[in-house]
Amino acid sequence: MKLPGWPWGILSLFSLAVLVLFVAYPISVLTLHSLQDAQGHLTFAGFATVFGEAQYLEAIVNTLLLGVAVTCTSMALGVPLAYVIARCDFPLKSLVAILPLVTIIIPEVIVGQSWLMMLGNNGLITNSLREVGVSLPSFYGWGGMIFSMTLIYYTYVYLGTLAALRGFDGQLEEASLSLGASPLATRIKVLLPTVAPAILVNALVVFTLVVGNFALSSMLGGQIPLLSVMTYSLFVSEMGSSPVLQSSLSVVMVLLVGVVLFFQKRVVERKMVQMTQGRAPAPRRAESWRGSLLALAAVVVVTLSLVPLIAVFVGAFTRARGPVMHWGQWSTQSIERAFALAPEPIINSMLFAGCATVLGTALALLVSYLVVKKKSSLSGVLDYVVVLPLTISGTVLGIALVQSFNTGALVLTGTSSIMIVCYVVRRLPFGVRNASSMLYNIQGSIEEASISLGVSPLMTFFKVVLPVIKTSILSAAILMWATSISELSASIVVYSGGLETLPISIFRLVDTGRLGLASAYGTVLVTLILVPLALAVKFFKINLFSVK
Amino acid sequence: MSTITIRGLTKRFEQHVVLQDLSLTIADGSFFTLLGPSGCGKTTLLRCIAGFNDPDGGSILFDDDDITRVPAHRRNIGMVFQDYALFPDKTVQDNVAYGLIARKVAADEVVARAHEALDQVGLRQYADRFPAQLSGGQRQRVALARALVIKPRVLLMDEPLSNLDAKLRLTMRDVIRDLQRQAHITTVFVTHDQEEALALSDQVAVMQSGRIAQMGDPESLYARPQTAYVADFVGSANLLPVDYLAAGSVAVAGQTLSVDTGDAESGRDNQLVLRSEALTLLPRNETGGANRLGVTLLGRQYLGAKTLCRVALDGGQVLQVDAPGIQRYAPGDALWLHVPPSSRVICR
Repeated sequence: MKLPGWPWGILSLFSLAVLVLFVAYPISVLTLHSLQDAQGHLTFAGFATVFGEAQYLEAIVNTLLLGVAVTCTSMALGVPLAYVIARCDFPLKSLVAILPLVTIIIPEVIVGQSWLMMLGNNGLITNSLREVGVSLPSFYGWGGMIFSMTLIYYTYVYLGTLAALRGFDGQLEEASLSLGASPLATRIKVLLPTVAPAILVNALVVFTLVVGNFALSSMLGGQIPLLSVMTYSLFVSEMGSSPVLQSSLSVVMVLLVGVVLFFQKRVVERKMVQMTQGRAPAPRRAESWRGSLLALAAVVVVTLSLVPLIAVFVGAFTRARGPVMHWGQWSTQSIERAFALAPEPIINSMLFAGCATVLGTALALLVSYLVVKKKSSLSGVLDYVVVLPLTISGTVLGIALVQSFNTGALVLTGTSSIMIVCYVVRRLPFGVRNASSMLYNIQGSIEEASISLGVSPLMTFFKVVLPVIKTSILSAAILMWATSISELSASIVVYSGGLETLPISIFRLVDTGRLGLASAYGTVLVTLILVPLALAVKFFKINLFSVK
Repeated sequence: MSTITIRGLTKRFEQHVVLQDLSLTIADGSFFTLLGPSGCGKTTLLRCIAGFNDPDGGSILFDDDDITRVPAHRRNIGMVFQDYALFPDKTVQDNVAYGLIARKVAADEVVARAHEALDQVGLRQYADRFPAQLSGGQRQRVALARALVIKPRVLLMDEPLSNLDAKLRLTMRDVIRDLQRQAHITTVFVTHDQEEALALSDQVAVMQSGRIAQMGDPESLYARPQTAYVADFVGSANLLPVDYLAAGSVAVAGQTLSVDTGDAESGRDNQLVLRSEALTLLPRNETGGANRLGVTLLGRQYLGAKTLCRVALDGGQVLQVDAPGIQRYAPGDALWLHVPPSSRVICR
């Protein structure tokens, strides 16, 4: 093997070092801690407790159940919606098609809070219905979690299915019909098998997201024990003592998600059908009442998933006293308080997310450039390490980072840098995937053309590659910004006094029942996400469909 | 403007040997073509000269400068790619000026030279367009201007015409040849199209699995191929196994033919190269001529200027004959096939 040379070998080494330090090393520290007692001896006590005591087993079973349930409901919602959008035409369709994307970027903590304000014990809808004599079942627990998670995660299934349907060659259906199969049989025998793997791939993504979900599980889960929440509480209660139990539970979560992702990558993705070419059948105008009904259902689903956005805006300008919202009485007191008395979370959020956006986008671009364009044995390793964060839920990442950087040579706990590391690591696999797809679209020869004209390889990157992908980078950066500024599950583990961000503040305010201020912060948060996005769509024509 | 000398060049990808101890000299100012099927190593050789592939052994010299270890961007080469490789976000003028700016040429001279280069390829009026707004032929002309404007030591072209349609390819051949002559620049041209190679080149090297099978000027290559591989690849040839009788005389299917036997000898794998356009079909009732083989017409394709005829020897072997204009023979007709005495026998 040749020694790494300037520039790509050195840069590969550098990227690998960064990834090992902030991804591979924390995971190994976590694994090590799960197998060590307070004296540093090898022990399986942690795993024995996790698999031996009823409460932990119950949490594992509940988490799996919730995962399966939400995956099923998301498919039940996402697949038909995608079919309707791909194959039917109805008024407002373009709007209905694009709006589900908004659900992905509304922070989960705001979704949780909004549904509580609507359907919680003191919620607007709960109270209104109670006045007319209808009592709703408690929103806390299975119902609330499945309901609110489905309304977010169906978007993943929807997008994946829509892409598969749009790539489907309509001639295959025509061939089936010409051979005498009925339209229904054609859909079942020809269409379904080709889009099924795409549906399943995204369904499994939903499953891993549910398993790792912290915000909604914690806010709406009530008394139901779940892995992510339990891991977080163990972290809080084990503070200072031996972290065996939190580490063991974390490792279980990593393995759970890892197995699912492995299955997805190795089994399901290989079944994906490559459509050589062909055009998807043109959407047909919805006929009579059936079409209108379908369209109506689509509009209802999409509107429901946007309720949180509206609720939080209204809530911010509604008079509030603790957990009691005086709906219909307008006031700017919450907003004023957020800006005047407690602006720290706003400043922190913008600062951390801003840094994470710059660093994360640059790192993702560097890594994907090395992996896609400068293939070597080093960049092959990079390609593997960079997807590791997918298996780590936010809570687990937070715990791993705290355990790794609490003491020792590099102490980051208590500094804002650990927050930024959280954001960057969590988003990195998606950032790299995004950047890779834009780099694959660049002709390899334009770089060689530049080099042949006398520009060094490194300068060629800046003078030729970067200008070509600058709008794609901008959209990647905006997504990085949106997801970073919404991040809760990892940052709530690693943060310490003075480092509160908007999601952390909202989470704690909801917990203590101060919904007015929470709504005010929520409004600021949503504005900080939507305004750059809207500007980018307007001025740079970024493609929202690359969101995933 | 340089002589290119290649000495013992070897290049491997993993275990696969792509170039094998290859040596050749390309004369200053000449148009040199590497011809061969895909996978023969021609593009790898070009990319070694350009500096995009590192050879595993041997050396490359521009005149007396050993550039084997010089990075590509310091070699002062001009390169034209199959897919044009124009910078999509830059205008035609900025594309052409790119190499000049990299060479820190003064701003006013950059503009002047870019305009001059665009004039040469007849695209001055397109200076402000973007590549996406040009046709394929125009793009390749911009690529040419961009490569030539920096006055490189050598011009390297990697199948530059293969993405163009047939008519445009003919025009672009002239453009390329004219510009190359004007600039008097040593040019290495890679192609798998034998007609292109013959039409453009001073010298052609036919490559076969990492080696040079035969090198020479187009006329000698076509007229005197040394191996069956070269005969088959350059021009359309029928290869007919023959028995060596004596110098100037061979036997096919029981008949004796006088041909150029070259270095053929008895007992070797002798094959007669029959260029399809050099063969003539005659009616059977015409008697008295020499160098004839009895054939049966199997089928024909009328192409306007010529008719492609498929004939079977009495011995069973099928040959292709390009007959000018319309042929009145019908499938099944028994005919004579006249073999010109200049046809060569090769034994490799």
